[in-house]
Amino acid sequence: MIGTLQEVFERALMRFSHQVTTYLPPLLVALATLAVAYLLARGTRWMLTKAFKGIAFDRFLRESGLSSMLDRSGRIRGASLVAGAAYWLILIAGFLTALDAFDTKLSSQMIEATVFLLPKLVTGGAILLVGFWLAQYLGRSVLVWACNEEIPAARRLALAARIVIVFVAVVVASDALGFARNVFLAAFIILVGGAVLIASLAFGLGAREAVQRYLEGGTARAAEQREERSLWNHL
Amino acid sequence: MEDKVLSGEALKALETIRRADIVIGIPSYNNAGTIGHVVQAAHVGLARYFPQFTGIIVNSDGGSKDATRDIVLSSRVQDSHLLLVSTPLKGVHRVSFPYHGIPGKGSAFRMIFQMALSLKAKACAVVDSDLRSITPEWIDLLIRPVLHSGYDFVAPYYHRHKYDGTITNSIVYPLTRALYGQRLRQPIGGDFGLSSALISRYLTRDDWETDVARYGIDIWMTTIAVAEGFRVCQSFLGAKLHDAKDPGADLSAMLHQVVGSVFALMQEYEGVWKSRAGSEDVDLFGFRYDVGLDPIEVNLERMLGAFRHGCQDLGEIWRLALEADTLAAILALSKATSNGAAFHLDDELWVRIIYEFACAYKRRPLERGLLLRSLTPLYLARVASFVIESRTMFAADVEKRIDKLCLRFEALKPYLKFLWAADRNLEPARRAEPKGAGVQQGLRTGLEV
Repeated sequence: MIGTLQEVFERALMRFSHQVTTYLPPLLVALATLAVAYLLARGTRWMLTKAFKGIAFDRFLRESGLSSMLDRSGRIRGASLVAGAAYWLILIAGFLTALDAFDTKLSSQMIEATVFLLPKLVTGGAILLVGFWLAQYLGRSVLVWACNEEIPAARRLALAARIVIVFVAVVVASDALGFARNVFLAAFIILVGGAVLIASLAFGLGAREAVQRYLEGGTARAAEQREERSLWNHL
Repeated sequence: MEDKVLSGEALKALETIRRADIVIGIPSYNNAGTIGHVVQAAHVGLARYFPQFTGIIVNSDGGSKDATRDIVLSSRVQDSHLLLVSTPLKGVHRVSFPYHGIPGKGSAFRMIFQMALSLKAKACAVVDSDLRSITPEWIDLLIRPVLHSGYDFVAPYYHRHKYDGTITNSIVYPLTRALYGQRLRQPIGGDFGLSSALISRYLTRDDWETDVARYGIDIWMTTIAVAEGFRVCQSFLGAKLHDAKDPGADLSAMLHQVVGSVFALMQEYEGVWKSRAGSEDVDLFGFRYDVGLDPIEVNLERMLGAFRHGCQDLGEIWRLALEADTLAAILALSKATSNGAAFHLDDELWVRIIYEFACAYKRRPLERGLLLRSLTPLYLARVASFVIESRTMFAADVEKRIDKLCLRFEALKPYLKFLWAADRNLEPARRAEPKGAGVQQGLRTGLEV
């Protein structure tokens, strides 16, 4: 009995010893790697914040309207943006290196997936950023135009323009990522088709009279505006 | 350059005419109703006042669909024996060509200036083709200071109805005067006299394809003349009566082009306007007299309505340009629009709006068009305020009122300099929150001057 227990205990001890000798060194290496990566990331962020302070990138962000888009207060700085991006990139790289120390199938798969996905993520992110910027710019243009033309519900019109552009950007980004490609595309087609159908029905059936009144009102308004505009031309 | 600006037809005419001392340029687009009178006035003006010089009338047309060009070439001076006491020594040529480039007055002027340069003209005058009040004396008053007194730029000085030319009265004149220190009363009048030196300078510039090609041309010409130290003067031309502009013309676009040109030139001539303070009178030629003017109708309710809509919808755009306290004052003002008679947009607020938009124009190149177009409701609010205030005023009182506004523009110039120079990363509407003590300091400095 005691012999059996001793044997079990020895086997457990051996397994533990084996596991410790197998996993402890990589774990220590991984922890050390993470610590180094963290320190490197912080150091890089500090250096970049100092180095990029007040350079043209800040001006670019401000002039392009990106700073107000990313942060409504406009307090965002180019330096902190670049430094933040470098910080997270170094941390991710450190994490992947740390994972690699374990040399397991799972860690290899995770690294592969990340390396494979990263360019796509960057592309998707860039598409979304451009989409949001365009949505903001064109939305504002629609807003100013509609307001100057005294079109009712100018803000709603601008919001609709923004939503459409953001939606298109999301569809294109999802296509680039290969993520739920068909779902977004189908949703887009359904929405656009639905909007056209609603408009057709409104003009053809249910809201015919309302649409007629609106158009008549619009024509009268346009005539009135033409007349008024001639009064404004001396300005 | 000549080949680029002038058509083959124009080059052929240059070979025939070869040389002219005086060029009168008339830009046109569908002005068959009025251009005959303008051409006749120019023709008689040249023959009567400059008989010893070779003159040419150049019509630069934007592709008129009516008989504008035919009328230019065929209109005859009625009763010439009564109008001209003596026979001119030299003839007056007339030519009419379509111009190249972006459709607009600026492109038309470019062709006229190129013709003047190629013909080695000593002086050139440009007059609008929709004028009903032009007389032969206008030609004398625009050309003589250049030919005989050595001036480079002759700006017009008219009597206009108090509600006429409100872009001039509320923005362009006060701002140009405050910036460059010259009291040119009609900087975008449209009728100018020019020396060959100034014409050469205009043609060497490379910004003809911008807003300058359209409504921006007048302020562009004036600004270059005053900022680059050319000798400038004014000539009193009497009343300016002209046809109503194209009813399809967009007020917002007009404002955008004119004000955009002023703001763009502010960047180029930053060193000049920053070094000048106050303003001085500019020589005024011609005998001044009072004239009757066409009444002008204004729709106050419509202007206030446009401002109200602007306040409801455009806050997010204005926030990009305006300081927090300026924006708050504007939004507070929208409540006063319900009682039209009590509405008042005071001078200081108006000056701050213009100065802050000028700085935003510099700071946000990608959103310039947006910002300028969003200025329309604010401009209409200022015009409405002016109309309410000047309802019972006579012409002299109105002039005093405009002068008061100009002085406010001049007094707040340090504020403009402060905003312009500040390297600011924050959105302006957030800047004047507690941390923005510097801006407040700048404003105070402006108010003390």
